Amino acid sequence: MIEAQRISKTFVRGESGSVEALKNVSLRIAPGEFVVVRGASGSGKSTLLDILGCLDPPTRGSYRLDGEDVARYDDKQLSRLRNAKIGFIFQSFNLLPRTTALENVEIPMVYRQGKVDRKKALAALERVGLAARASHFATELSGGEQQRVAVARALINSPALILADEPTGNLDLNSGREVMRLLCDLHTEGHTILLVTHDDAVAAYGSREILLRDGLVVSDEVRAGTPAGGGL
Amino acid sequence: MSAGKISSQAMRSLGRYRLRASLMMLGIVVGIASLAVLSSLGEATKRETMQRFKNMIGTFDTIIVRPGGGRTRGMPTLVNVPPTLRFEDAKAIASELPEIKAVAEVQNAFDIDIKYRDRSSSPAVFGVSPNWLALRSEDVADGIFFSAEQNDSLTRVAVLGLDVRNQLFSSEDALGKAIRIADVPFQVIGLLKSRGAGPAGASLDNVVLIPINTASRRLFNRDFLTMLIAQVRNPERSDEATARVTALLRERHHIQPPALDDFTITNPAVTAAQVARAGGTLTKILTGVSVMALLIGGIVIMSLMSVAVSERRKEIGVRRAVGAARSDVVQQFLLEAIFIALAGGIAGVVIGWGGMQLVTRLQQLPPILIWQPFAVAIGLSLAVGMTSGLYPAWKASRVDPIQALRS
Repeated sequence: MIEAQRISKTFVRGESGSVEALKNVSLRIAPGEFVVVRGASGSGKSTLLDILGCLDPPTRGSYRLDGEDVARYDDKQLSRLRNAKIGFIFQSFNLLPRTTALENVEIPMVYRQGKVDRKKALAALERVGLAARASHFATELSGGEQQRVAVARALINSPALILADEPTGNLDLNSGREVMRLLCDLHTEGHTILLVTHDDAVAAYGSREILLRDGLVVSDEVRAGTPAGGGL
Repeated sequence: MSAGKISSQAMRSLGRYRLRASLMMLGIVVGIASLAVLSSLGEATKRETMQRFKNMIGTFDTIIVRPGGGRTRGMPTLVNVPPTLRFEDAKAIASELPEIKAVAEVQNAFDIDIKYRDRSSSPAVFGVSPNWLALRSEDVADGIFFSAEQNDSLTRVAVLGLDVRNQLFSSEDALGKAIRIADVPFQVIGLLKSRGAGPAGASLDNVVLIPINTASRRLFNRDFLTMLIAQVRNPERSDEATARVTALLRERHHIQPPALDDFTITNPAVTAAQVARAGGTLTKILTGVSVMALLIGGIVIMSLMSVAVSERRKEIGVRRAVGAARSDVVQQFLLEAIFIALAGGIAGVVIGWGGMQLVTRLQQLPPILIWQPFAVAIGLSLAVGMTSGLYPAWKASRVDPIQALRS
């Protein structure tokens, strides 16, 4: 599914020199895994997520996503790839304001072939338990509900990979638990999930845990027996 | 992906920010509305001017010869022209030049006292040749026009314009009645159709027509013409006809170079077009002003939309993350600008149309149906939308999704 080899990312910070956010990171993720990436802030986990999500090219190294060598893709090809293969879930939900839950879920369908399938969007909302809220504006929903709409949006194009960036970071305990339960269900259904967090409780949901420190992978361990209950 | 889906996204965005969208439209609405009103009004005025000339001249396939060289001003009359243009000149032009189909002779004077019983009027009196009506392809409204025989035998008959008829007779029947023109008795035999207003706006119906020979010998006692009107056979080649008439008259009047003509020839079609063009100058200036308004409208769209891009960074980031290429973002913002300008243009056209109807009614111009300025207006607003959307669209496509999504 994911094959990243010796990936480095260097940010140039004006005249004061450059920062190497990732140093020779190599990573293989098989389909169906639920990988948690942990690390303190500044450890490079967000940078890794951006690169794996094809939002940011690595400075060095090669990256194959679902068999496609992404390195030489141009903006249009990368966009198409994101659209088809990656579902994003963000810490701050990132729903469009003044837009209904349903329309938010539909947006990824705008940028792929074919029509915007309203029934499919409704089904996705149903999947996250929010069919009744379809016509509510994003701002009328609670944080937990907004994040579930975001999960529905991430699912709508049946992506190969779901990337979640601190999905519970802005949520209270109960809402966070609901969202994690949803992600676990998706994992059980066969989705590949990569989740970035610095929260131990959230990290406990994963079937594999990668720890980053200063741009380096310091540990990478597979857990025996997925604790479906997690730590929340 | 597809333009249809992107345009529907653009439409929805505009719907979400209605107030901003209508503000962006405002300049375009004003610019287009005034542009539409002014340009169609200019066109209408031009047509009206041409029409009034036509009212006065009758047809545009004529050239007019007046006695006196240089630029003459106003309407010639018996008191202000030199006695150089003769009846024989008219006969010679009609018989010797194949380019000329017919010649009408005119002898006219203004403010002649006319009486019927105790009522009086002081219209223009025109002595004209009997072919006058035919040359202008006109007809009498009632009664008859005088014949060549009546002209030859100096019969005292008159055909009245509408204003004169109304003043002297009001509701009474005028035909067959005796009137006195400068104390000479005449019989009313016909009534003219109304000709409306001339180029200066004055009525063309305040007129009495009498046979020119009667006028010359029994009323004015003058043996020269104030004007002759020559109908050209081929209006496309009236320049040629003018040259031939000039040559013939110079020869007849024994004028040798370098002496100048002792007559003036004008081409009403050309004159009318010149006057119509001159009247358009103000319209042109005002049109410039509305083009400025349109430009400002475009700048308003550009700047408000650029601000909107900054506000909508998060939205752009989301769209990029879920699969929008830079080109999709460019397309959406360009389309938003175009839709705004188009909507503004359409609103402007509707308002402009209404305004035009109002102005034509107030100015008492005939109602006009001119669609070209409106088509141009719509095209213009489209162009303004496209240009003003370019910068914001480019700016939107440069939003870094990573930063936008984490902010």
